[in-house]
Amino acid sequence: MPQVTMQVNGRSVSGEVEARTLLVQFLREHLELTGTHVGCDTTQCGCCTVHVDGVGIKSCTMLALACEGANITTIEGLAKGDVLHPMQSAFSEHHGLQCGFCTPGMIMSAIDMVNRKGHALDETTVRKELEGNICRCTGYHNIVKAVQAGAAAMKGA
Amino acid sequence: MAATTKTTGIGAALRRKEDLRLITGRGEFTDDFREAGQLYIYFLRSPHAHARIIKIDATEALALPGVKSVLTGKELLADGIKPLPHHVWALHPADIAMPNVDGSETFMAPHHAIAVDKARHVGEIVAMVVATSVALAKDAAELIHVEYDILPSVTNTWDTVKQDAAVVWDENGSNVCGDVETGSREDTNAAFAKAAHVARIETWVQRVTGVPMEPRAALAVFDEGTGRVTLTAGSGGSVRLKYDLAHMLGMKSEDVRIIMKDVGGNFGTRGMIYAEFCLVGWAARRLKTPVKWTAERSESFQSDYQARDLAVTAELALDKDGKFLAMRGSNIGNAGAHTSNFSPLQKGVEIMTSIYNIPTACFRARPVVSNTLPTRPYRSAGRPEVMFVMERLIDIAAREFGFDRVELRRKNLLHKEDLPFKNPFGMIYDNGDYHAVMEQVLELGDWTGFEARRAEAKARGKLRGIGVANYVDTATGVPRERAEITVRPDGQVDVIIGTISQGQGHETSFAQLATEFLHVPEDKVNIITGDTDVVKVGGGTHSGRGMRLASIVIWKASNEIIAKGKRIAALMAKADPAQVTFEKGHFHAAGQSLSLFDVARAASERNDLPDDLRAPLYAMSDETVNEAAFPYGAHVCEVEIDPALGTVEIARYSTVDDVGRAVNPMIIHGQTHGGIAQGVGQALMEEIVYDRQSGQLMTGSFMDYTMPRADNFPFFDAGFAEIPCTTHPLGIRPAGEGGTTPALGVTMNAVVDALRDFGVTHMDMPATPEKVWRAIHRKA
Ligand code: FES
Ligand code: FES
Repeated sequence: MPQVTMQVNGRSVSGEVEARTLLVQFLREHLELTGTHVGCDTTQCGCCTVHVDGVGIKSCTMLALACEGANITTIEGLAKGDVLHPMQSAFSEHHGLQCGFCTPGMIMSAIDMVNRKGHALDETTVRKELEGNICRCTGYHNIVKAVQAGAAAMKGA
Repeated sequence: MAATTKTTGIGAALRRKEDLRLITGRGEFTDDFREAGQLYIYFLRSPHAHARIIKIDATEALALPGVKSVLTGKELLADGIKPLPHHVWALHPADIAMPNVDGSETFMAPHHAIAVDKARHVGEIVAMVVATSVALAKDAAELIHVEYDILPSVTNTWDTVKQDAAVVWDENGSNVCGDVETGSREDTNAAFAKAAHVARIETWVQRVTGVPMEPRAALAVFDEGTGRVTLTAGSGGSVRLKYDLAHMLGMKSEDVRIIMKDVGGNFGTRGMIYAEFCLVGWAARRLKTPVKWTAERSESFQSDYQARDLAVTAELALDKDGKFLAMRGSNIGNAGAHTSNFSPLQKGVEIMTSIYNIPTACFRARPVVSNTLPTRPYRSAGRPEVMFVMERLIDIAAREFGFDRVELRRKNLLHKEDLPFKNPFGMIYDNGDYHAVMEQVLELGDWTGFEARRAEAKARGKLRGIGVANYVDTATGVPRERAEITVRPDGQVDVIIGTISQGQGHETSFAQLATEFLHVPEDKVNIITGDTDVVKVGGGTHSGRGMRLASIVIWKASNEIIAKGKRIAALMAKADPAQVTFEKGHFHAAGQSLSLFDVARAASERNDLPDDLRAPLYAMSDETVNEAAFPYGAHVCEVEIDPALGTVEIARYSTVDDVGRAVNPMIIHGQTHGGIAQGVGQALMEEIVYDRQSGQLMTGSFMDYTMPRADNFPFFDAGFAEIPCTTHPLGIRPAGEGGTTPALGVTMNAVVDALRDFGVTHMDMPATPEKVWRAIHRKA
């Protein structure tokens, strides 16, 4: 089986994978980083979003082998020790999660959104940019609030 | 709309204790668990809606290295695996009984975990493959040859009752499983005979699916030494799942253990044992190896219980002034291929008249089977459907007979002096102020300012509409719940409770209850659920019972802790127990102040205590609550339609729900928001579609089942009222379903209002852009 090596949350990891192994399977099953979730099989839900070389990617739609040498950040890699990433804090502060299943993907997408669109995100932008992330619990109200607050907080951080 | 500034206990908008692990990726959902040496399961499912299974040949599949087993209905029967233990009707004493008019029994058929004779819906399990990887199990499934004799099928609800319909269960001779009449036919017909106006509706409340975001999964381990099966899986409740699994596997309940940690949504969809859960347990026991199954989303679409699907014809009789006189009609509830759950039909028909003062009514109710997935309660089972019918009927009547929509509601809404009120089906609404709540939401939604907004939208080429809807919910469910509280000398309070949170935040809101009663900070309270070796009794989460019942047992157990604590404190301070007081977490006795934890320590250390006070400081409350609760409220929705595209935008959405007493307002608002999205989703976009000819499931993934997204909504204006409920000792009404219950009706009232200039008086859900565009452009 082919070998793949990448940086995940600042750590160099490698493993033997089948050619068909998806990045999300590598993360969840090989590295036991189970914070990245799988909510669909059609690249619609965004539960699996991680950052590959700083860019938000649906890890269910990328082969592990395609990440050779890449730098990956997952939800587990956001906090610095006990200090949460501002976007993580914002989700809790604004009750942007209920069951929490969509949450890792939401947070990773939200940070990617800030990286692309800046810190002053209006409601319409946030809603449109969340097109690729589905949540069944929250009605999105508090997610949008959390993303806006988290975006602003990232400026100071 | 209580503005609360409390920071602890009941009423505090406390941030959630469960969040930290969930936002850092340390949640524990079922698929996150694994066992060394686990095998993987893949289910081969029927591609046909209705087909006799002639032969299954798994020889080639079994020849693949790594394939451990292929099991079919034959082995299932040989091993004595029992059918799913469905209870079709809600048996709560407050719900109405559903006897057949002719005195016959409701038809029930065995629901086997694997099809044994016929497959009765697309997706029904035909064989189970166990292999060393999922990929291999899938490959093997492709090598199984199943010979089918394809039969005619029926999926559409109206079609099921037709004479020439394909029959799903030959044993029953037709698809109608029951024929119930409720209310008074004679009085109703007499009232209709005198009516000045009769409003009519014929509608199909379409089938949807719950879509909890965590796909179902299960991991089973068989312990050869003890003979026990341990199943890790997410469900509506752990205790019921334990008993149901033990029953199906023919085991003693103590030989089954259920573990349930984080559960990614439920909404009723996870409320009952699934075939897969039993099969995973069976496979582990049979192969003596841990086995795991995780659904893919497309598998969820063909295996999760689906919901709604009610065909209704209804009439409302009014006198010349608009006073409601009577209501009558017929409801057909499509249960799908198995006689699994008819309670949405029952829970709908019993409150058909909602909270209006309608003296008499009569409805026929028929549960039917079809070649579709089984249905079961989904967020506010049965009630959103009938509230939709009532609120649409009122708008239809207003339009047709020239009444103002709001005035018509004001004229007929029950007044608080009318309560308690027994509705024509026998349900007794406890209390509330229906008028006040409706007026509040009309104000919140700025009803009076609407025409200006309509005109402004028109100037922009948009069609704006507004709607209002009232609702009532009947919260019943499994009546028994238990809480066990232990005060530990180390300063922690453990609360074991038989409910399960699938996102509702019980670790926080239930801790707030303990804080309120025992005056211990929330962060010292541990809510323990989800392991049946610890939690012995409890009904799980459904029918607005989580907070409603948990609050009663936590309160009663807390009171017992305090009573015991007073006696211990009295001994410690050599005081008269009657003189001991409990304030701010301390017992005051003979000038001494002893904390709850001092007393707990004494209980475990002293040897001079009477037996019933010996350590630990513990109390249990086990209650059966036979009273129902009736949360109610009103919503206002405003939509804007683009006539060129037919797209419907929710422009404003306001709610006032009476929650009796808000334990955590932040969580309640969150519940309301999510509930609205599920209701609006049904009104505007969601629909499970079966091909009417072939019975094929056409909506099998997120590519073709439209899920509500962030850009489908505005921020909501969610308020609530707190009029204490009289059927609950603390006044609490359920708050989880109110967001959904009126949302179907209010959204469609707004859509139809926006289209009023195009001759549209009603539209069946979902109001998709295509349907709306055709209505505007008069193209069928
Ligand atoms: S799991 Fe990747 S988008 Fe759904
Ligand atoms: S919080 Fe449950 S799916 Fe988003």
